[in-house]
Amino acid sequence: MKTPYLGEFEYAVLLAVLHIGADAYAVPVRGLLQDRTGRPVARGALYTALERLEAKGCLRSRMGDPTDERGGKPRRYFTVTALGLRAIRQTHAALRRLARGLETILEHP
Amino acid sequence: MRTPPPIAERLPRWSVRDADWRDAITGDLREEFADLVRRRGAAAADRWYWRHAVVLTARFAIGRVVPAAAPRRPLAFADDPSALGLGAGWSRELGHAWRAVSRRRGLSAVIVISVALALAANATIFNLADALYLRPFRMPDVDRLVIISASPEGDSPFFDPNAVAPADFRDWMREATTVEGLAAGQWWDPNLSGRHADETPEQLAGFRVSPTFLGLLGAHTVLGRGFTSADEVHGQHRVVLIGHGLWQRRFGADPGVVGRTIRVDGETQEVIGVMPPGFSVPYGAEIWAPLGYSDDEWAERRRAWLLVVGRLKDAHTLAAAQAEFDALVAQQAAAFPDTNARRRARVVTFSRGMGDPAAGPFLAIWQAAAVLLLLIACANVANLLLARGRERQQELAVRLALGASRGRLVAQMLLEGIWLAVLSVGAALPLAWLGVTLTRDFLPASIIRFVPGYQFIQVDAAALALLAGLAAVAAVLFSLVPALHASRAAVVESLKQSGRTLTPFHGRHWLGSALAAAQVALAVALVVAASLTLRAVDGAINGELGFDKRNMIVATLTLPDGSYESADKRRQFVDTVLERLRALPAVRSVGAASTLPYTGFTAKRPFHPEGVLLQPGEVRFEQFVRVTPEYLATMGVPLVDGRPLGAEDRSDTRPVALVSQSLADRYWPGDRAVGRRFRLDSDGPWIEVVGVVGDLAQDWFLDRRAPTIYRPIAQDPSWSLAITARTVSDPAQVAGPLRRAVAAADPDQPTERVMTMDEVIGEKVAGLSYLSRALAIMSGIALVLSLMGVYSLIAYLAARRTQEMGVRVALGATRWQVIGLNLRQATAITVVGLGVGTALAVGLGRLMATALFGLVSLDAARIAATVLALGVVALAAAYVPARRAAGLSPTDALRTP
Repeated sequence: MKTPYLGEFEYAVLLAVLHIGADAYAVPVRGLLQDRTGRPVARGALYTALERLEAKGCLRSRMGDPTDERGGKPRRYFTVTALGLRAIRQTHAALRRLARGLETILEHP
Repeated sequence: MRTPPPIAERLPRWSVRDADWRDAITGDLREEFADLVRRRGAAAADRWYWRHAVVLTARFAIGRVVPAAAPRRPLAFADDPSALGLGAGWSRELGHAWRAVSRRRGLSAVIVISVALALAANATIFNLADALYLRPFRMPDVDRLVIISASPEGDSPFFDPNAVAPADFRDWMREATTVEGLAAGQWWDPNLSGRHADETPEQLAGFRVSPTFLGLLGAHTVLGRGFTSADEVHGQHRVVLIGHGLWQRRFGADPGVVGRTIRVDGETQEVIGVMPPGFSVPYGAEIWAPLGYSDDEWAERRRAWLLVVGRLKDAHTLAAAQAEFDALVAQQAAAFPDTNARRRARVVTFSRGMGDPAAGPFLAIWQAAAVLLLLIACANVANLLLARGRERQQELAVRLALGASRGRLVAQMLLEGIWLAVLSVGAALPLAWLGVTLTRDFLPASIIRFVPGYQFIQVDAAALALLAGLAAVAAVLFSLVPALHASRAAVVESLKQSGRTLTPFHGRHWLGSALAAAQVALAVALVVAASLTLRAVDGAINGELGFDKRNMIVATLTLPDGSYESADKRRQFVDTVLERLRALPAVRSVGAASTLPYTGFTAKRPFHPEGVLLQPGEVRFEQFVRVTPEYLATMGVPLVDGRPLGAEDRSDTRPVALVSQSLADRYWPGDRAVGRRFRLDSDGPWIEVVGVVGDLAQDWFLDRRAPTIYRPIAQDPSWSLAITARTVSDPAQVAGPLRRAVAAADPDQPTERVMTMDEVIGEKVAGLSYLSRALAIMSGIALVLSLMGVYSLIAYLAARRTQEMGVRVALGATRWQVIGLNLRQATAITVVGLGVGTALAVGLGRLMATALFGLVSLDAARIAATVLALGVVALAAAYVPARRAAGLSPTDALRTP
C-alpha cells in the first residue's frame, strides 16, 4: 500500500498516540498534544483526524470495556499501524532533510 | 455521582450515526465532565458540557449532510475524492452554492439585510398578535371558557363584558343548561392603607368574585385557602385573597400573612390566601374579595355591572350557548320590561371577551403590512437574482452544453436561495428579539393592565417557527423564479449572445419589469396606509378637542365607599383638596369632575326629557359627568348659553344641570334648551337646564360630539374624582403639591395617577400612534427596497444596452434622447406600479376604515399627493442610472465588451 501523506496535525496526533502507547484514546491524546505543543486542540478536530487516520490505515482502533465513570460507555483505543509508522518516518525524515543546514537558526532562538 | 445534563448528553446521538464512535465520544465527554465537577464545581461543569456538546454536534452535523456511504465513516468529510459517495455531491453543491453567495458580497449583503428586516418585522408582529390576541390567556382549557353579557347597548362596536345585573345572573345560574359553573365578578379598585404611619396607602387593582370564580379560571391558592360559599354570605365576607406580587411587595413574602388582617377601604379584612405568581386575572387584579351582596343587592335588575364567566358544558358549542342566552334574555325582557327591555345577550370566548377589542383589527393590519413588506423584499431579491441570472446565463449555458441537467442547475440556484435564507434568519433573529423587546418596553405602563397576554411578549418557539417557515417560503419564492428562468436558457442562443451582438434579449424583461412594478405597487399601498394612520393620530392629538389641553394637570382617585358612605364627607373631601390647590401661586384655576375626557371611563344615564313620553326601549343613555362649578371654565370649555354652575347650586337647592350643545341639538333642535327640564330616571326628580356649553371630545375616535349632561358635584357627589388644575407654567411642577393636597385631606387616600392632560391624551392614542409609527417604519423600509428594485433594474438594462447607446450617439442621437430611451421603460414600470398601488391603497384604506371603527378615513387628496410623490421619487431613482449610461462617450460605449 502506498504510504499516505500526513498533514501537520495528523503527524502530531500519530506521534502522541505513539507516546502514550497501549492506553491511547482521545482524552489523553488531546492532553498530551496540548501539553507538548502549547496550543489548544479542538475536540471535534481531534475526532475527525483520528477517524481519517484510521480510514487511511495509519491507525487501528478497538473498543475497551465499558466503565461506570464513563456512564457505561467504552473507550476507543488507538494503536499505530505499520503503515502509520512508515508515514511518520517518512514525514519526519522529510522535515529533517528540509531542516538540514538550518540548525544555527532552529536550535538557537 | 453527578451526571451531565441529559439533553446535552443526547445531542451527539443526533449527529453521530456510528454507534461505536458515539459511545466513544460521549464516554470521553463524561470522563472529562466528572473531572471538571471535582475541580470546578457542578455548575461550571454543566456549562462546559453544554458548550462542548453543542459545538461537537454542530461540527458532526455537517458531516451528517453526507449520508454516510460506508457504515464505518460517520465523520467523513468530502475532501477525499475517493470517498465521494452518492450524497457527497450534495455537500459539494452546498459548498458551490456557498461560494456563489459569498463571492458577491455586496449583492448578498443587500439581499440578506432586506430579507432579514422583513422577516424580523413579521416575527415581531406575529409574536404580538399571538401574545395579545390569539392566546392572551394560557390557562388550561381556556377555549371552553365563555363570557356572557347582556349589555343594554348591544349595538356598541365594543363588547362590554361587565354588563350583567345581579338578579339576571341569579336567573341564569338556575336556568342555563349549555354552560356550567357560572361565576360572577365585579370591578373593585380598593385602597390599601399602610400598616404604620410611614407606609403610603396604595390603590390596588382588584376584583370581587363569587366563590367559584377563581377555580373556574384554573387558579388555586399557593398559600392558605380559596373562597368558599361561607365567605359569600353578606356580613361574613370580610376576607381577601392577595396576589403573589402584592404579597412580595407589601408583605415581604411572609408566609405568616395568612390569617393576618389588613385595612382595605378603611375596613379590616382577613387575608386567607395567596394566589400563584403571574396570576392577575381579570384586569391585572392583585386582590380578590367575595361579592358578599345583601339580598337587596342581589335583587338589583336595573344596573348591570357584573362580569359573568362560565364553562361550556359537554359538547355544547358557542352558538348553542348564544341561542340559549338569547332565549333567556328575551324571557327576562318580557318579564321585566322596565329594566330589561333593551338588553341583548352576547356569548363570546373568554379570550375574546377579556382581550382588547381593538387589538384584533390593529394587529391584523399590522401583520398584513408586514407580509406586504416581506413580499416586497422577495420581489426585490428575485429581481436582483434575475438580473444576476442573466449575467450568469453564459455560465449556465456552458454547463448545460456540457451535459448538466436542468434539474441540477435549478437545484443549485435553490441552494443559493437557501443559503441566503439561512443567513437572513441569522440576521433576523437579533432584529426580531430587538423588535419584540422594544415593542414590549414601549407599551405605556398605564395600558399594560388592560393588555392581557403582556407577559407573553417575548421571542418564543412559535415566533421562531414562523421565522423559519417564512424564510423557507421566501427562499423558494425568490430563488425559484430566476432559477427556472435561467435554466430555460436556450443553449445556442445564449452562447451566441456572448459575441458582440447588439440586440438585447427581447421579451425577456417582462418578468423583471413586472417584479419592479409589483414592488412599486406594494410600496404605494404601504406608504398610503401609514400616512392615513399618521393623519388619524395627528387628528386625535392635535385636532379640535373642545377643551384646552395646555398647562393642565390632573389627579385621579377613587374614594372607598365604606368610609365615604355619606355624601357630605365626599363633598367635604373635594372642597378641602380644591381649597388647598387654589392657594398655590402656580395654579391659575382648579376644578374636579367625576370622569375626564380621553380616559376611557365614562358614565351614562338614561335621559328622559320633559313632555316626551318614552317607551322603555326608546330611552337613550347619555354621557353623565359631575363637576364642580369651576371645572368647565378650568378646562376651557366655552359657555354657549345661560349661566354657569355656581356656589349657589347646593344639595338643598333646586337640581340643575348644564348640557352640551350636541345634547341640546338632539332633544330641543331649533329651540332654546335653557329652562327645559329632564329626568335621569323615569321616576327621578326633575332637573332644570340652566346653561349650554360647547362640546368636548370625550374620545376623539368614538365620541367626538357626545351629548353630555353636567351636574353639580355638590348636588350629586361622586366617588371617582379627577382633580384638574390649570397652571401658570409647566404643569408637571404642580404634581407634588397636588399629591400633598390629597394627602392632607385624607392621609389614607391614595392618588391613583397624576399626569398632565397631554399625557392623558397621549396614552389614549398610544395604541394607534404605536401602529402608525410601526407602519411608518415599515413603509419606509418598503419604499427604500422598491426604489432599490427600480434603480437596479434600470441600471442593469442600461448596462446591457451600452453598445446600442454608443451606436445611437455615434449616429447623432442627443444625450436627452438617450436618457429618454432608458427612462421609457422606467416610466412604464412606475405608471403601472402606481396604478395598481393606488387601487390597492384604496382597498386597504377602506379595510382600515371599517376595521378600525372609522378611525382612519380615506382622504383622496392625501392619497393622490402620496402617490404623486412616490412617482417622482421612483422616476428619480431610474434617472440616475439612465443619465450615467447616456454620459458615456460613444467610443467607450462601443469598446465595452
